[in-house]
Amino acid sequence: MDSFQGLLSGFQVALSFEGIMFVLIGVVVGTLIGMMPGLGPISAIAIMIPLTYGMNPAPALVMMAGVYYGAVFGGSTSSILLNAPGISGTVASSFDGYPMAQKGQAGKALAIAAISSFIGGTVSVLLLMLLAPALSSVAISFGPPAYFALMLMGLTAISSLSEGSTTKALISAVTGFMVVTIGIDPQTGTQRFTFGNVNLLDGFDFLIIALGLFAIAEVCMLVLNRKNRSLSDSQKLGSLKLSKADFKEMSGPVSRQSFVGFILGVLPGAGATIASFISYIFEKKLSKNPEEFGKGSIKGLAAPESSNNAATSGAFVPLLSLGIPGSGTTAVMLGAFLVLGVQPGPLLMADRPEIFWGIIASMYIGNVFLLVLNLPLIPYLAKILSIPRPLLISLVITFSLVGVYSISFNVFDLYMLLVFGIIGFLMRIYSFPAPPFILAFILGGMMEQSFRQSMTISNGNFNIFVCSPLPLTLLIIAFLSFSVPGILNWRRNRKNAKV
Amino acid sequence: MKQLGTLLFICFTAFILVACNSNNAVDSNESANNSNSEDNVNSEDGGKFEPTQSIEVVAPGGAGGGWDTTAREVVKTFGETGIIDSNMAVINKEGGGGAIAWAYIHKKDDSPYNLFVSSPPIMFVPLNGQSDYGHEDFTPLSNMIADYAAFAVNADSEYNDLNELFAAMKEDPESVTVIGASAPGSMDHIQFIRIAKAAGVDVKKVKYVSDQDGGALTSLLNGSVDVYSTGVAETVEQVRAGNIKVLGITAEERLEGDVLSDFPTAIEQGIDETFVNWRGFFGPPNMDQAAIEYYEEKFQELSDSEEFAEIRKKYGWNEMYLNHEEYTQFLDEEKEEIQTLLDEVGLGN
Repeated sequence: MDSFQGLLSGFQVALSFEGIMFVLIGVVVGTLIGMMPGLGPISAIAIMIPLTYGMNPAPALVMMAGVYYGAVFGGSTSSILLNAPGISGTVASSFDGYPMAQKGQAGKALAIAAISSFIGGTVSVLLLMLLAPALSSVAISFGPPAYFALMLMGLTAISSLSEGSTTKALISAVTGFMVVTIGIDPQTGTQRFTFGNVNLLDGFDFLIIALGLFAIAEVCMLVLNRKNRSLSDSQKLGSLKLSKADFKEMSGPVSRQSFVGFILGVLPGAGATIASFISYIFEKKLSKNPEEFGKGSIKGLAAPESSNNAATSGAFVPLLSLGIPGSGTTAVMLGAFLVLGVQPGPLLMADRPEIFWGIIASMYIGNVFLLVLNLPLIPYLAKILSIPRPLLISLVITFSLVGVYSISFNVFDLYMLLVFGIIGFLMRIYSFPAPPFILAFILGGMMEQSFRQSMTISNGNFNIFVCSPLPLTLLIIAFLSFSVPGILNWRRNRKNAKV
Repeated sequence: MKQLGTLLFICFTAFILVACNSNNAVDSNESANNSNSEDNVNSEDGGKFEPTQSIEVVAPGGAGGGWDTTAREVVKTFGETGIIDSNMAVINKEGGGGAIAWAYIHKKDDSPYNLFVSSPPIMFVPLNGQSDYGHEDFTPLSNMIADYAAFAVNADSEYNDLNELFAAMKEDPESVTVIGASAPGSMDHIQFIRIAKAAGVDVKKVKYVSDQDGGALTSLLNGSVDVYSTGVAETVEQVRAGNIKVLGITAEERLEGDVLSDFPTAIEQGIDETFVNWRGFFGPPNMDQAAIEYYEEKFQELSDSEEFAEIRKKYGWNEMYLNHEEYTQFLDEEKEEIQTLLDEVGLGN
């Protein structure tokens, strides 16, 4: 069966009454779960697995997929409105989304996020449909050396994530690296910096750090800056309408980052969080006015939003065509497949085309549902901002605590959330930027592991990084992205000095 | 200054909230324990144990994992078949590869209402020094199922059976890299070491790489590593697609089923060694004899039921029922053997 026929049969599944109903349930549940800080698609899918016992596999899996991309879609809402990322994939959306909301453009920010997400999601479903079989070879082409080079490439962005002092940005990044080493070292099984505390064996969950450094720190700042709340712009919703100029500004990042996000989503282990960061950095490097980033730039919001949604569909490539789960969420999805008696893998497309294509076709419909559901809701969502500030602050604290508690039902995590909240607050006061910390935390773990895996495989020979084309190319890109801005700066300065 | 005061107040309130939370948790545990011990007294009077309150089954890992699936399926089948009428609930306690859950259950001394699902990591984790509690600190009730390890290579690999692989490893240990999803000293590593040792390989020199981000199979497929040490079920689909070859599995005899029956055991290749990934249920320390007997009987009934046979088939699990006594003996022997292996690889404590 060729792809086109396959897709037609997929639409037959997706457009049946059952199909539409379960897509709808999936995306609604997903959006709601995404909006709650801390509650992510992993727990949502795991909770729903028992509900699907005895269901037809196709609609059940369509629903699970809907929960997954629905959560990534909805996750940006709390990032933008409260600076409390709903899921880890939307941390980067708060960099510019939250400043926009502060400037009284909450409605616009939510609309941009929704439209970028929609386009990112749709473009990547299209790519998934056309390229899934071909891309499965890309997904497995990345060995440990290539992952190391990719992570290094991401890290060169630290300089561009920081405003002001480079030294402070580096200190922040190194601290992130140090924090990520806490826990059991996967390569030797020894404990690092756990001080004999069982609660530290697994290290810190990303959300504890993100909610601490962003949401709790923000709450502290809000309390400190109490004086000017009366004339706060942030309580205004602002116009929902996007002007032609806005669309024009979005179009570049969205069209580029939908592809970037998709490719990074395809790579097992990379996923929506890394994709959103890399896209953000990518656009900042390309931008003519990088200084606008972090202060409410439309591009800075559109890039991660289109990218994280594109990465979500990308993650289905290794799952469906190879049976390889590339992330925690897709691992639970794999469990859901198995429970329903469907084995994802190289033979899925031939054995169960109605499921393979049904899921893909349902994603088109799901993305349309998400857009149609979310756009009219924006004015109501943004009303959150007109809640009196003391109430809002308590709400953010409550949501953050509940969210962190629900990760592993461990009270210790709550203390750690507060500790990171205080660290984040001190970092704000002394103007250490938080994004390099977060970036180092995300990339650092994987970078260390892939480096050490490479070293074991090569018996300690560094040639492994330069002797095959893929890691070499990535390393060259990393080197250029690190050195070119510096050289340009130096030349500009010299010219200025001469004048 | 005023602002700072408010800020402190908020932090303080938040800490109080958290602290209250944990206090409550402790309180409720204590009260549960108290009522439990009263029940025990009652049950001893009658000589037979009958649950009078709901039974908590802890899965020491997150939702969707192996422990969680086993616990949920067993609890569901107990309810559906009516083998146990009392209300049973699965609770996830994730963290430290199980250590957090074990510490939690250890506090429920002698309670007959707190079970948990367990498997070889309850030996590996304490032996690697990552938990204060091991299987001997709890009451093994019944083992239910068994899984086996499989060693796979890329379809293009020069190795066609375990003996060819081990011969190459004996000649040049550095030429072969093994990958698995768990840390060195844990299951994927030790199951390979155990078979390799029986084949005469110098296990100290085995090159093992751990990939806990789901990249192990990828690394095998793209040729970064040579051997993938994993569970049998994880290999079936890739074998069917012709991407990988399974050189050997660690069961006593060949498994039943499409594709599965093609996998040769290590034993039939002349390597006299097995490894079982067992899964069963434990209770807290000092569980009452009457309660042990009660659960033994119920688990046996479940294991023999048609409903549970269906579930085993669905997940590709094998039947392996052991009662309290057999189970305890089996576990003690396993642990001793694993300890020897760890010492030999240089990872023992």
